[in-house]
Amino acid sequence: MEQFLGGLQILMQWQHFLIIPLGLAIGIVVGAIPGLTSDLGIILCIPLTYGMEPTMAILMLLAIYCGGTYGGSITAILINTPGTSANAATLFDGYPMTVKGQAFKALQMALYASTIGGLISAVALLFLAPQIAKITLLFGPAEYFALAVFGLSVIAGVSNNSIFKGLIGACIGLFMATIGMDNISGTARFTFGSNRLMSGIDLIIALIGLFAISEIMMKSQYDPKKDHKTISASAITKDKITKDEYRRCRKPIALGSLIGVIIGAAPGTGGGLAAFISYNQTKQASKHPETFGHGEIEGVAASESANNGACGATMIPMLTLGVPGDGATAILMGAFMIHGMIPGPTLFKEQGNILYAIMLGLIVVNVFMYILGSGFTRFYAHITRIPYEILAAIVLTFCIAGAYSTNNRMYDIYIILIFGIVAYFLRRMDFQLVPILLGIVLGPLAEKNFRRALVLSDGSLSIFFTRPISCAFIVIAVGSVLLFAWKNYKAKRRVQ
Amino acid sequence: MKIKYNTEMISGAIFAILGAVLWFLIPTQVQTLEKTVINAQTFPRIAIGGLFLFSVGLLLEGLFAREKKEVYITKESFRSVAFKKELRSILFALFLIAYCFLVGHLGYVVTTVLLVLAVMLFYGARKWYYYAIPLGMVGIVYYVFKVLLRISLP
Repeated sequence: MEQFLGGLQILMQWQHFLIIPLGLAIGIVVGAIPGLTSDLGIILCIPLTYGMEPTMAILMLLAIYCGGTYGGSITAILINTPGTSANAATLFDGYPMTVKGQAFKALQMALYASTIGGLISAVALLFLAPQIAKITLLFGPAEYFALAVFGLSVIAGVSNNSIFKGLIGACIGLFMATIGMDNISGTARFTFGSNRLMSGIDLIIALIGLFAISEIMMKSQYDPKKDHKTISASAITKDKITKDEYRRCRKPIALGSLIGVIIGAAPGTGGGLAAFISYNQTKQASKHPETFGHGEIEGVAASESANNGACGATMIPMLTLGVPGDGATAILMGAFMIHGMIPGPTLFKEQGNILYAIMLGLIVVNVFMYILGSGFTRFYAHITRIPYEILAAIVLTFCIAGAYSTNNRMYDIYIILIFGIVAYFLRRMDFQLVPILLGIVLGPLAEKNFRRALVLSDGSLSIFFTRPISCAFIVIAVGSVLLFAWKNYKAKRRVQ
Repeated sequence: MKIKYNTEMISGAIFAILGAVLWFLIPTQVQTLEKTVINAQTFPRIAIGGLFLFSVGLLLEGLFAREKKEVYITKESFRSVAFKKELRSILFALFLIAYCFLVGHLGYVVTTVLLVLAVMLFYGARKWYYYAIPLGMVGIVYYVFKVLLRISLP
């Protein structure tokens, strides 16, 4: 209690209330540009924090992290391109809502759900960090592999048209994830003799190619004379979230936030996986699953609450065990060390007051995010009024610059354009791109832990079924696939 | 000439061939020294094997369980609106391929300006400020990335 009050006292300094909005603004802008992630935003701003006192420095970086995770949803909703991989699940319903002229509503819900998810995550970090850390310590390779399988079960839910197409997409994604050097044995895989492919295909590069470039190509048949209708400014912002929609979204937001906290607290997972799982569970629990993927506001609420719900939770293993939850927290861990704080079990004893100030500050970050976001949502929504020929050229400009700057490699530009052209043909063949993305995201997690688990069990697959948490994940994954199959079968029978 | 097809048949056949080719490439493309049963080849085999099997499944679904489109290919087909629309997509893809070849030689600014101009002409933009906005954006991106953030561009 003493540390809690001490932390509150540190937080109440006026400088902190200036630095948080600044960090959020940087994070939102960086997150909203495809190719630039909150990780990059944090890295670029670390040198600015050298002269600051630790609480101020970490709060600024945390604000960039949270702002970036929210900012990625803006482009996912407006131009069908997630700013960061954590916002990929927001595409499912965010962009269809924009197509239906409900961009403002979708942006409002993304902000609302992100704030609630972020607040719940911050409270969990504040009060439950040691307990949650103990649970995540029970996770071994078998549990992580089962978690990846659980994530892959989302494919069943997004392959309405043909389960085979969904499975092929996932296999393509899993195959792409194996390209480059194998992290366990150091073997080169499918590099075709090119050293440039040794580092594999970067996730953000794949995202830009699959979604942004293919979307621009899909619209290459757009005719400015017939297709572009100027929407009046008042029409865009008139369509606000209704009371009934807020009521309907309560459950998805609560579920998403909870999933975000649990998944985020498991090291090596992150907000992207949490968002996919949350979306899938919300769709399954819904009384109208057929509306998901066609502009269902509950879908936006589920994914956005989960990815921001993971933001605070990824800090739990970092602060309590010294193990970063994802890429951004690994960078934050470096920032903690730069400012003289070594994350781990002793941190609470040695720097308790500062730590509580930071954890309480995360709540303030989320409140400011809502205030700042509310002011700008109206402005973002007007992007839909820009004639498509201008927007396409601007998006291409950003995508190319973003792709190159990710790793300073020319071949990343080639990859986004090749991915874009291939993804265009896949979309023309009625393939969904999300299973490919899931394969790329979950492939490394699944492979690494599959191999480690089998080494531990001397090659016996029973390890996945004899450990309770692993078995539970696999049973839920199989159950959810069967449930989807049954629901689809019933829907088809009804149509016949 | 009359053709009966559906997207399942085409994509199933393409990916089945791709899966088979990749399967036979595994020993040369993943040359592991590991002697264990589970090694660097295991996961690619699972992914590629799955790709082949599911593609065969999709092909069979297309052949026997899905409705097929009937298309008559005549000289008129090449003058149709649908064919011209397909040509537009191919032309757009050619812009992107040309960009890939040029960006290494001409650099980001010049090549992106050319791409922006090509895209605007492709959509038939007439107003001068339609050209000015994205061209100005190329300059802003260059300034923000190169000068402010000190991130290199080609």
